[in-house]
Amino acid sequence: MHELSIAEEIYRASRAAVAGHGAGRLECVTVAVGELAAIEPDLLKFAWQALTEGGPDVGSTLEVEWHAAHQFCVACDADKPRSDGTWLRLCPDCGRPLNVTGGMELDLLHVTFLPDGHEGAGEGSDDG
Amino acid sequence: MAEVVDIRARVLAANEQAAAKLRDQFRAGAALVLNLISSPGSGKTTLLEATVRALGGRLRLAGIEGDIATERDADRLRALGIPAVQILTGGACHLDARQVRKVMDEAHFPAFDVLFIENVGNLICPTSYDLGEDFKVALLSVAEGDDKPFKYPAIFARAAVTVITKADLLPHVTFDLDAVRGQVAALNPGGRLLVTSAKTGEGIATWCALIEERLATKREAEA
Ligand SMILES: Nc1nc2c(ncn2[C@@H]2O[C@H](COP(=O)(O)OP(=O)(O)OP(=O)(O)O)[C@@H](O)[C@H]2O)c(=O)[nH]1
Ligand SMILES: [Mg+2]
Ligand SMILES: [Zn+2]
Repeated sequence: MHELSIAEEIYRASRAAVAGHGAGRLECVTVAVGELAAIEPDLLKFAWQALTEGGPDVGSTLEVEWHAAHQFCVACDADKPRSDGTWLRLCPDCGRPLNVTGGMELDLLHVTFLPDGHEGAGEGSDDG
Repeated sequence: MAEVVDIRARVLAANEQAAAKLRDQFRAGAALVLNLISSPGSGKTTLLEATVRALGGRLRLAGIEGDIATERDADRLRALGIPAVQILTGGACHLDARQVRKVMDEAHFPAFDVLFIENVGNLICPTSYDLGEDFKVALLSVAEGDDKPFKYPAIFARAAVTVITKADLLPHVTFDLDAVRGQVAALNPGGRLLVTSAKTGEGIATWCALIEERLATKREAEA
C-alpha cells in the first residue's frame, strides 16, 4: 500500500507550493494518475483523508484526473486499447510489441488554497 | 478568496532527482547497479549469496539491503565478505532514492564494480521508485504460482530481467514455466527470463554471465 507514501509526497509538494504564496489552508489538490502508474485513485483519496485528518488541512480534497493507457502499434499505425484487466503490451491484431504513449502519469497539477485571513464563503465575507 | 497555484510536476520529482544524482554517481564510478524486487521470501538474499560465491573472486561487489526490521540480510552478505549496509524502513514497503543517497554519502563503501540493492519484500510498491539503478530484476519463486506476472504486471513489465527462483522445487509444485515465459514476454517483449536454483546452482552461471556482460556494456558505452 504505497498510496500513503505517494499521498505524503503530494502533500509535501502542495505545501511547498503554497508556502511560496504566503500562508494558507489547502482546499483542493489535483493530480493526474495514469492507468499504468500502479496507483489506485480511491486508495489515494483515502490516504489523503487519513493524512490531513487532525491537521491544518483537514477537510481538503484530493481530485484525481484519470488518464487511460495509450499504446501505439507501429505496424498497424494505430492506437490500440488495453484489453480490460491486462497489461499486455502486444498488439491484439498483429501480435507485435506496442509502444506505451500514455497512462504513466503521476503528476501534481494544481493546488487551490485559502490564504490566511479569508474564511471561506458563507461567513459574510465578500468573495468578489 | 481561494487562490490556485499551478504546479505541473511529477509527484515523485524529488525521488527522481535523487535517483538521477545516484545514476551520475554510479556512472562516474563505472559501477553496475541492480534493484532486486520480489515478494517476501522469493529468494533475493539467497540468490545474492550464490552470486557472491560465484562472482566475488572476480568482481568487487557491494550490497544495500532494504527491510522493515532486522539487520539479518546485510549480516548474511557481510558473512560472505562483501560490504553491505542495511536500510531499515520502519514500516515503509519500499526503498526510495533519498535513502540510498544517504547510504552512499555515509557508508563509505570501498570502490565496487557491482552494487546489489535488495528492495523490501513486496511485489508492488517498490516498482514506482527509481533508485538510480541500471535495471530492475524481478524474482518469482516457483512456489508462488504461475499466474503472478499477469496478476502483478507493473513489476514484470518494467524489470529488464525476470529470475525464476527455487527451480529445484519444480517437481513438487504446480508451476507451468512456459505459461510464465509467455506472460513475461507479453508484458515485456524486450525482457530476459532466467531459471535458477540457488540450491542446485542451476542457472547461476547464466545469471552471473548476464551481470558481467551488462557491466562490460556499460563500461564500453562510457569509454
Ligand atoms: N529449495 C530452495 N529454497 C530456496 C532457494 N532460494 C531460497 N530458498 C529459501 O527460501 C527462503 C527465503 O529465502 P530468502 O533468500 O531469505 O528470501 P528473500 O527474498 O531475501 O526474503 P525477504 O528479504 O524476507 O523478502 C529461505 O528459507 C531460503 O532457504 C532455492 O533455490 N531452493
Ligand atoms: Mg532478503
Ligand atoms: Zn498491430
